[in-house]
Amino acid sequence: MARPELIIQGLRVGVEGREIVKGLDLTVRGGEVHAIMGPNGTGKSTMASALMGHPSYEVLGGTATLDGQDILAMSVDERARAGLFLAMQYPAEISGVSNANFLRTALNARRAENDPVPVMQFHRDLKAKMESLQIDQSFAERYVNEGFSGGEKKRNEILQMAVLRPRIAVLDEIDSGLDIDAVKLVASGVSQMLSEDLGVLIITHYQRILNYINPTNVHVMMQGRIVRSGGPELAMELEARGYEWLRQELGIDEPITEEA
Amino acid sequence: MAGTLVELTPEQIAAFAADEPSWLFGRRLAALGRVSELPLRQSKQTPLETAPFLAPDLAQAPSVTAGDVPAGVELVDLRTAIQEGQLAVQQHLGRLFTEGESRLQALHLATFAGGAFCRVGRGVELKEPLQLTVELESGALYAPHLLVVLEEGARADLIVELRGGAGAEAAVRGAVEIVLGDNAALNYTEFQRVPGRTQTYWPRRAELGRDAKLHWILADVGARLAVADTRTYLRGSGAEARVLASFFGGRRQHFDFNHVMVHEGQHTTSDIEARGVLQGRARAVYNANSVIRKSAKGASGWQHEHTLMLSDEARADLIPELEISEWEVSAGHAASAGPVDPMQVYYMESRGISPVESRRLIVAGFLASLLQDIPLASVRERIADIFQEKVEL
Repeated sequence: MARPELIIQGLRVGVEGREIVKGLDLTVRGGEVHAIMGPNGTGKSTMASALMGHPSYEVLGGTATLDGQDILAMSVDERARAGLFLAMQYPAEISGVSNANFLRTALNARRAENDPVPVMQFHRDLKAKMESLQIDQSFAERYVNEGFSGGEKKRNEILQMAVLRPRIAVLDEIDSGLDIDAVKLVASGVSQMLSEDLGVLIITHYQRILNYINPTNVHVMMQGRIVRSGGPELAMELEARGYEWLRQELGIDEPITEEA
Repeated sequence: MAGTLVELTPEQIAAFAADEPSWLFGRRLAALGRVSELPLRQSKQTPLETAPFLAPDLAQAPSVTAGDVPAGVELVDLRTAIQEGQLAVQQHLGRLFTEGESRLQALHLATFAGGAFCRVGRGVELKEPLQLTVELESGALYAPHLLVVLEEGARADLIVELRGGAGAEAAVRGAVEIVLGDNAALNYTEFQRVPGRTQTYWPRRAELGRDAKLHWILADVGARLAVADTRTYLRGSGAEARVLASFFGGRRQHFDFNHVMVHEGQHTTSDIEARGVLQGRARAVYNANSVIRKSAKGASGWQHEHTLMLSDEARADLIPELEISEWEVSAGHAASAGPVDPMQVYYMESRGISPVESRRLIVAGFLASLLQDIPLASVRERIADIFQEKVEL
């Protein structure tokens, strides 16, 4: 199969009648790691949720294709099966459903009904992946995200990504709320998966996760648009100088609102 | 519908009970005499139907089949037990239905036809569960009576299945009566899977002696209209009873369940755990009551009822009650009914799981805490499977 390719053009997204993403263009291909940075309330997470099809977000215009298929026309589960993955900022808890059962159901959803993943093989793979992410084996039988710490939830998102092997993975603030050791662990988990068959889009407030995953492209988002794109050096510059210089340079004087 | 009752004469009862002993004929007549005086005792939310008030045809007794029966146990057709002159039958049959009797129950005692008798002898401890299947055929009123007696110190699992051929348009007006001697323990499991056009009226009664233990493990998924009133009398001190009830209604199914624990003995404990799932335009009327009588010092009675609504059109009325006439007891209840969390569904779908599979997982998760308390693994798995199959697209 050809390298994955996510093409977003002129994407506009609204929440409760308010336009948050106001015309976003972005292309992510296999082997690339894009970072979208920016202050709070600029539409980064809104864009990620709209791509996945979160029911509270309304696409007002633009297109998004994954490997040439219009993902905006698909249901949420179809997008996932087409190869899109979103590591969520606040993943839901599902009482009574074990992580292993959840993941096996998700894997089987990608296979023919008469060809489920062999149970033994599934558990072997899951065990190996948990080891590489330094996740305790008891994780498999714990209920999905129930009673998980913030760090465990983020690691669980990365574990799911490792098991489901998406073509394009969007990581929405996978580093927020984590201490530096946890950030390293999550970053190394993602780094191990990098290949020509995976494109990654990292959404973050902070530059520090980019010390452990080298981005190929860095974008700054403000007021619902990408206002500046560059290489890894852009992230360094933002780390050193903050966002204010860029705001002044671009003549953006509106106050930045907190993200809902 | 009252007209059909009046037409039922002692001669008809006599024809019914032609080959039965005179004590039973006397009881049937006495019950018939009470019918017109008794109240209906049916919830206002549940439609009143005519079918259960008709007289059953003895020839239409449902076929009752029992699995293997080990030594120390009798598990036979009720007619056989009556004809054999089983003392326990004469002693107990219908006894637990005299308290708080309703018109329908009196009618049942007057006209029951067929059923089963199970007796586990003193001190007999069974390793394997006993199985009993009540099979309906089409187009009739069935009135089976199940009488289960565990003598002192006996221990058993009994798995009862109510089912029928597809398309059966029957009504069932049956009854379950369980008598547990001192220190006896029974796990009574019941799968109600009758076809979707059937009505069932299925009161259950149990009486527990000193230190006796009863688990009611109930799974109701069938019937167009299922009315079940389950009462447990904790008579001996130290008796323990637990209800682990699950139900899943869809389309236009209507369930009307009532669970009552009556604490009479000291230090008796009861717990009612119910988990229901509703989809389509199904409706559940769910009542529970923990009654602690003046004699029941140190009793404890708890209730937890939760209903998961898979559709906006389903409806649940949960009415938990406590009736406490003694000091130094502990009792309480919690009840809730709510829709599926759309964020859970979104999360599952974002992993590629289809909407129907997502709901199946949520239903499985919702049941998990109830299932984990069910002692037999095979019963746990069966309930889980039945619920999975029932989730609609």
